[in-house]
Amino acid sequence: MRNFFLALGQFIHALFIEYISRPTTRRINAWVSSLDKWARQETARALADENEAPEVTGKRMLSVIIRSVPYMRPMFIHILAVFGFGFFLSLLFLATGTISSDLWDNKMMVNDKLQPAQAVVLFVDKTYLRSEFLDEQELEEVRELGFEGNKLTIDQRKTIRNRMLMWFFAGDIFGIILAFALSYYPSWIWQNVNHYLRVAMVEKLEYLSLTFHHSNRSGDAIYRIYQDSSMVVNVLDEVVVGPFNDLRELFIAFAFVFAFDPILGIVCILSFIPMAVITAYATPIIRRLAVRNRVTNSNLTSRIQETFAALKVIKANNAESIVVDRFDVDAHKALDAALYVRFGMVALSFIVAIIGGLVIIGLEYLLLTWVLEERETNVPGWAIVFVGFMVWNLASYHSANGRVGQVIGTGRGFVRLWCMLQDLFIGLERAFYFLDVEPKVFDPEVPEQFPDNVQTVAWNDVHFEYENGAKVLHGVDLTAQAGTITAIVGVTGSGKSTLMSLLLRLYDPTSGSVTINDVDIRDFLLDDIRRNHAIAMQKNVLFTGKVTDNVAFGLPDADFDDVKRACEIACADEFITELSDGYDTNLGERGAKLSSGQRQRLTIARAIVRDTPILILDEPTASLDAKTEHRVLENLAEWSKDRVVFLITHRLSTIRNADNIAFLESGKVIESGSHDDLLSVTDGRYRRFVEAEEVGLVDSQVQ
Amino acid sequence: MVRKFIQKRQVDRTSDTTQKDHTIVSGFKAGAQFDDRIDTAPEISHVESLRIVLRGFKWLKYVKVLFATRWAMRTVMIIPGLFLGWFAKIVIDHVILQVPLVADDVNFPPHMHWLLEILEGREPLNIALILLTIYVVGLVLIGTRAGGTGAGLYGGRDAASNAENAVSGNQGGAWTGSEAGGIWGITEWWVSVRLSQRFINRLRTDLFRRLIRAPMTRIDDQAVGDSLYRTLYDTPMVFTNITETVFSPFFIFVGLGLTFYQLWWTYSEASMLIIGLMALMIPITIFTTIAPSKWIRRMTQNQRAAGAATTNTLEETMNNISAVQSLGAMKTEKERFANRSAHAFWRARIAMFPWLGVGIILEIVGWPLGFYLAWHVTNMVIEGQLTVGDFGALFGMYMGLRGSFQGLGRLWLNVQDQAAAARRVFFFMDLVVDDEEHQPGNKLGPIEAGVQLENVGFKYPNGHEALKDINLELRIGEIVAIVGPTGCGKTSLAYLLPSFLKPTSGRVLVDDHDVMQIDLESLRRQTSYIFQEHLLLSESIRSNLSLANPDATEEDMVKALESASCMEFIEELPDGIDTVLGRSGDTLSVGQQQRLSIARGLVRNAKIMVLDEPTAALDPQTENLLVRSLRSEADDRLVVVIAHRLSTIRQADKIVFLDEGEVKEVGSHEELMSHEDGPYREFVNLQSSTQPA
Repeated sequence: MRNFFLALGQFIHALFIEYISRPTTRRINAWVSSLDKWARQETARALADENEAPEVTGKRMLSVIIRSVPYMRPMFIHILAVFGFGFFLSLLFLATGTISSDLWDNKMMVNDKLQPAQAVVLFVDKTYLRSEFLDEQELEEVRELGFEGNKLTIDQRKTIRNRMLMWFFAGDIFGIILAFALSYYPSWIWQNVNHYLRVAMVEKLEYLSLTFHHSNRSGDAIYRIYQDSSMVVNVLDEVVVGPFNDLRELFIAFAFVFAFDPILGIVCILSFIPMAVITAYATPIIRRLAVRNRVTNSNLTSRIQETFAALKVIKANNAESIVVDRFDVDAHKALDAALYVRFGMVALSFIVAIIGGLVIIGLEYLLLTWVLEERETNVPGWAIVFVGFMVWNLASYHSANGRVGQVIGTGRGFVRLWCMLQDLFIGLERAFYFLDVEPKVFDPEVPEQFPDNVQTVAWNDVHFEYENGAKVLHGVDLTAQAGTITAIVGVTGSGKSTLMSLLLRLYDPTSGSVTINDVDIRDFLLDDIRRNHAIAMQKNVLFTGKVTDNVAFGLPDADFDDVKRACEIACADEFITELSDGYDTNLGERGAKLSSGQRQRLTIARAIVRDTPILILDEPTASLDAKTEHRVLENLAEWSKDRVVFLITHRLSTIRNADNIAFLESGKVIESGSHDDLLSVTDGRYRRFVEAEEVGLVDSQVQ
Repeated sequence: MVRKFIQKRQVDRTSDTTQKDHTIVSGFKAGAQFDDRIDTAPEISHVESLRIVLRGFKWLKYVKVLFATRWAMRTVMIIPGLFLGWFAKIVIDHVILQVPLVADDVNFPPHMHWLLEILEGREPLNIALILLTIYVVGLVLIGTRAGGTGAGLYGGRDAASNAENAVSGNQGGAWTGSEAGGIWGITEWWVSVRLSQRFINRLRTDLFRRLIRAPMTRIDDQAVGDSLYRTLYDTPMVFTNITETVFSPFFIFVGLGLTFYQLWWTYSEASMLIIGLMALMIPITIFTTIAPSKWIRRMTQNQRAAGAATTNTLEETMNNISAVQSLGAMKTEKERFANRSAHAFWRARIAMFPWLGVGIILEIVGWPLGFYLAWHVTNMVIEGQLTVGDFGALFGMYMGLRGSFQGLGRLWLNVQDQAAAARRVFFFMDLVVDDEEHQPGNKLGPIEAGVQLENVGFKYPNGHEALKDINLELRIGEIVAIVGPTGCGKTSLAYLLPSFLKPTSGRVLVDDHDVMQIDLESLRRQTSYIFQEHLLLSESIRSNLSLANPDATEEDMVKALESASCMEFIEELPDGIDTVLGRSGDTLSVGQQQRLSIARGLVRNAKIMVLDEPTAALDPQTENLLVRSLRSEADDRLVVVIAHRLSTIRQADKIVFLDEGEVKEVGSHEELMSHEDGPYREFVNLQSSTQPA
């Protein structure tokens, strides 16, 4: 029998799983993912420029809320705890408040004996109790002690008062501790939520291709990550919980108003119609102003950031006053936008307040006439047990007037909230915009293993053009073998650096492919590719921090010996050891304290310490004097055996060290071969190039 | 289901804002170090913070009218409050309860008397009509029964995201928007927003102006993100500071006076007791807040410094994103940001502790006062001297007044919070800027002769001696090449010419005037410096050029662009000279950026032109063109070139060979080459040996 039930149970369970649980889960999952997709699409239409006034609101608002959920998820339990705790506390305060006000007002001040529970919490004996709670014997005892009837003596009232004050003190302490916890705890929660969103945005930005970054200002990124993302902390409180509470209050207040007289209720509802119409009319305007506010403030941030980043140039050009003027223009735009968006809100709330105020005053007059003619209220008969509101009198006037005020007040509150929400959503949409940008360069679904042994690197008929339509490469074919140095030569702007950027997948070619060991690099993981390349860039970018941190940039595990050896190869060790703190010297903002030759050697060391099979040196020696250059190149030649090395340079002395020279012109490799091979081409481009290098010499000799 | 949904968009939790390796106690301690390399000793004393508060008042002179208007409007709005409160009483007593109104009989304060005379002897409904008409007029004019005016936007849970509201939303101070509604309210609100905006913008502009005129040696130590943070997020606190110290006490006192005046007519004895107890609150509060005010200062300071450090990381990463990506440092940079952001949030959070602590102490200390009042008044009630209603009225009054008096006592504490931010602003304002080291007003005429260096030495603040005893004469009409191994002081020497660096010994003379004795601006206007790093602004090419010379015509620009061989690529750009460059000019190749920088230097048309390795990224042909065009224009100017390329050096009239901060040789190429074993000759030979014959 037992087995039968067991089997039956299993059967039912299986049925349940098969026909109910699984399809439901599937459906829900499908629903959730389509919801998620939809939310992404909605926010993807985010506000890139100030002229775009967002139209559909409900949908977009919902999408933004859905998008915020993942960042709240890790804090879910805590959020629940805070809300649950808050709810519990409000119940607790309601209970203690009712009991203590009864005790304080009715019992102590007006003078009445206590209920049993009240006596217990105040630790007082039965002489304080109301007679109906005492049996015969106890009544007798109380009477003998001289505490007859339902009135307290003066001393008893003072005792109650004193003990209640003790309780108040204890409650106060408890309340303080709660207030402490309840202000710290939510801060922690919401800061974390904001933090997750920020980090997600930064992460996304770090991986977005340079094409995206070129067309966006750094200051805008700062503004979005700082200002726009911070709106996420308000989503739950202001969008979900706040309106919910308001609605509840509105509902209760309405119920009361209708109970007094339907006319009052109807007038209130009617007054909501013009409020809603005007709000609906004003919303797009406010939204547009809010977008403008954020865009102009973001522009101001960019302006300041760019100015400080280019301070030297401003100084050199004596352009301080021009820059201040430009700052002033942007600052005023931002301030005006901030004023106007708020003015929109203030003006709307002015109109709504007038409507609401007229309704309140008008109804007050109506109520007063009712009171004077002692009209009957609409309160049902059974309510007489609780309140004496059957006819209009002082109390019912007070009560009804208060409720009308509450209804209108809540209505106005909604309008205000609505306005602020417009800004909140616009902020969040701007934040999510970054997360939604489809990366132009992305990891393959099924990545190939990056080869341990790089044999060849090749560009096959590579074309490339920038977003703005500038065509840089028109069919480059180039192959480089391990153990060789390939020099890329060509006039400024011929696409040399772009060629290398494609190898690093900072961009992807418009057509054609870049391959490593004949595998398209689009099949490798981005991290793998960049981990296997080292580059010394033309712009000697250093970061604020110590020498070692700069050399081991992006390599948290590099040990000091490696760093030192790399610096020795790059001839940087010699000047580093002369710095005040050697390798621990702080370099100042972007390495500003070093000369350009020193910076250049550090960037070379940074490439070397990465110890990768592919090394790219983009104008590595432009700022070095001949002697140092010579030494650096010798060291490099020794170090770079078995590696694929690319050299972009103008210097003949450097070029001559290369095994293979590729001469780039108008986006194509038009000549390639060794130095001697290329020189032997009569009228060759490379030959002309070399001759040009010597013109300077010839010129001055002529003089 | 939820888990599935979430898994797809997993949030990075590697660093929560909880600082695991920090204790809360460590947050209270001084000496936290962030990115600051200049502003490193942020502890301030009470006296200093007082001085900071007073200092903010200076900026009020730019907003005098707005300030006075705002104050007057707010003060006027106290008056309606004196009347409107009594309206409700009239409605209840003389309309609803239909008590006949006799002006001399009823218990109203004297200022109500004129109205009572109007209402005297009227029908109840008639009285109601008059009062309600006043309400309606008041509703439109001053927002009677509609509340005040104000508009704030949401902020986040850190200082930066609340700054915008502090500027334009009048948030944070006691002076939020307008207490009135209606037309008056909107007007007053407008004035108040404009007031805070103007004040803060003026302060921002002043700070900005000083920051961009920082001496070259300090620019190296000044983090961009930090400057940004100070300009945008620290400045608003100076204004909050003023409202806290001026308006809050003023209106608290006015409010108190008026309440007291009205109380006097009802509970004269008890009101004395209440006021007395309230007054006790002030010294108690001040006493309890002495110690925490130090912590609040320190922690606000740290909170803001940590915020600035986060901004630094973010700014640096974003501005150098190509370096970050090509070095594969995305992950480490993200983690660096995450750690700093987490730390900043933690700092912002623990800065709540002293406030909460003060709140607790005040609550406990203030308790005996409330206890005594409750005890005293209930005694009177129990003994039948006062009614139950009286207790309610008195205690309600006590609670209302308590807030105001606590506010007065906490004034100093509130100020600390803002003083910490204001200090960050004023600190940078106080640093000496470039032109203050010179003699402003002592203008230099057009340079005619040239520059002379007399025994010039330069030592960096860290003790590194970059230049030693330099004697040189550079004349207008010359092309001078500064040559030498890397790190020998070439740039330092060139920096002396536009007075980017001031000699630590010896003198730099321009037309026989010591540069330290002349107006810096008049010198800089005649110099042009082209840097090794080519910093372009992300604006149009035209606007980049007009930065250097606002008076330049299109023709001048094209000429400069041609000389620097820019036109060939500019012609290919979609909008030509009006093309807007991407982030720091990144849409151009480095060589193109450099050429543009050179064009910018040329368009300045300055008497002294310094090119600091202009040719590093130029191919030889372009460079030859450039040097040739410089040659042709060099007649009435001094061109100083720092160069490695022989072809450039050879074209100079004078070559200065520098090594280890000393001038080893000066002369033309031929002269110097004739020195057997001369360092220049050795240098040239080395260069030539690696170059084709």
